[in-house]
Amino acid sequence: MMPDESTVLFQKEGAVGRLVLNRPGVINAFNVRMRDDLYSALEAVRDDPDIRAALISGAGDRGFCAGADLTEFGTAPSQVIARQVRWERDLWGLFGSIRKPLVAALHGYVIGSGVEIACLCDLRVAADNAVFRMPETALGMVPAAGGSQTLPRTIGQGPAMKTLLANDVLDAETALNLGLVHRVVERDRLEEAALELTERLSEISPALSASIKRGIADGLDMSLASGLELEYRLAGAVAARSVFLSAG
Amino acid sequence: MGVQLKISERVATMTIEFSEEGSLIDFGTAYALSDAASEIRQRDDVWVAVLEADRGDFCLGTSPEVVDALLGAGSTQTPLRVGQTLADIEKPVICALRGAVQDQGLEIALACDARIADSDATFAMSQVLNGAMPWDGGTQRLPRLIGRSRAMDMLLTGRRVGAEEALGIGLINEVVEPGKASERAIELASVISRHGPIALRYLKEAVLNGVDGTLEQGLRLEADLSFLLQSTQDRSEGISSFLERRSPTYRGR
Repeated sequence: MMPDESTVLFQKEGAVGRLVLNRPGVINAFNVRMRDDLYSALEAVRDDPDIRAALISGAGDRGFCAGADLTEFGTAPSQVIARQVRWERDLWGLFGSIRKPLVAALHGYVIGSGVEIACLCDLRVAADNAVFRMPETALGMVPAAGGSQTLPRTIGQGPAMKTLLANDVLDAETALNLGLVHRVVERDRLEEAALELTERLSEISPALSASIKRGIADGLDMSLASGLELEYRLAGAVAARSVFLSAG
Repeated sequence: MGVQLKISERVATMTIEFSEEGSLIDFGTAYALSDAASEIRQRDDVWVAVLEADRGDFCLGTSPEVVDALLGAGSTQTPLRVGQTLADIEKPVICALRGAVQDQGLEIALACDARIADSDATFAMSQVLNGAMPWDGGTQRLPRLIGRSRAMDMLLTGRRVGAEEALGIGLINEVVEPGKASERAIELASVISRHGPIALRYLKEAVLNGVDGTLEQGLRLEADLSFLLQSTQDRSEGISSFLERRSPTYRGR
């Protein structure tokens, strides 16, 4: 890999933004540069009105993402600085702020931050060779890209707790049964299937997909009564917009 | 009747020894479990705990004398919420389930972090059939674990659920051959006991507290615990051992 090559490839294909984690030599291990490149690419997804859905995948044969690049760990000057940097460039919060459908295409090793990136997407398609694992506690750490929060919300508290405590290996079929992924396809059909799904999502009107995402994400953080109120308001706004557009 | 506490290789095993009268939580068992939980919390040489019953059923529920005390009659002793006592252990707790796991017995299992069951074990929250309701966390932990719809079914009908169904709805984590649950629970505890002990405690805290708040609050908690861990020797050891391709040796510091 050329040293100046971006660690996240980004391109537009019609209404779909395509992001490819691009450090295949180290199974796309997540490092500081990738954080910055992914941040820029996601900002483009958020801000470009032509993009209506995005697909994130990993380059190379071996996997989507092998987790954080531990060779860079311990390089932050202090915990105080590390904490400050974390919230100055809040990549994981940026994921949550994107109101367009995000799809993850997962193959081979999907480890640690790989699982966490996937959980920050809305839909996950896996190749039949995908294996999932959260090794943080085995390494004396806890997840730091939201995994302790997003995994229980994705697969339920019981399975999440055991997966996180025991560093369990989940194969694609198990991941499907747990709801960690929505669909499993043959390895050589992954790109096609995930792209087809993302294209389908990009055909939904942006205001509608944004409202559905907001209703679910914000609603889950509220009491049921507040969530129902939010849904009613969002649905009203979407309906009014659609009447307005058809009249125009 | 009582609880045996055995500690070996950083794993504490609590074994409930029920009396001949039946596998019910009486005052003696409740206080013995509470004492065992306190010891597990305090001892630095315990990183993971296992809860099991010595024979027969895991637990059929609450003894009549404790039920009387709940009703305010017949006893000066205060009924103890055993589930809560176990949930208060900051370290991971795994339970091995056999025979009938019923009423307060199931509530106790729900308060643990992972559940391994014999394939012939059965599960029920059947208080409703006696005109009563759960009082040791059942109406709160069951919906959070298996979803509201399934929890409502179990709580309102009191029906008995087999191990396969329990696995399918997320009530338990693993099913093993009859009689093997304890062995498997201890094996799992042994795997977990090789992980960083502070990381395990923080992970448990992040998951349990995180699901009760908003996602934003949960992410803040996770991040702060993660930065706090950066000050530990264990975290450096975890990273070095990975880079040096060897097994880590954690000390809980």
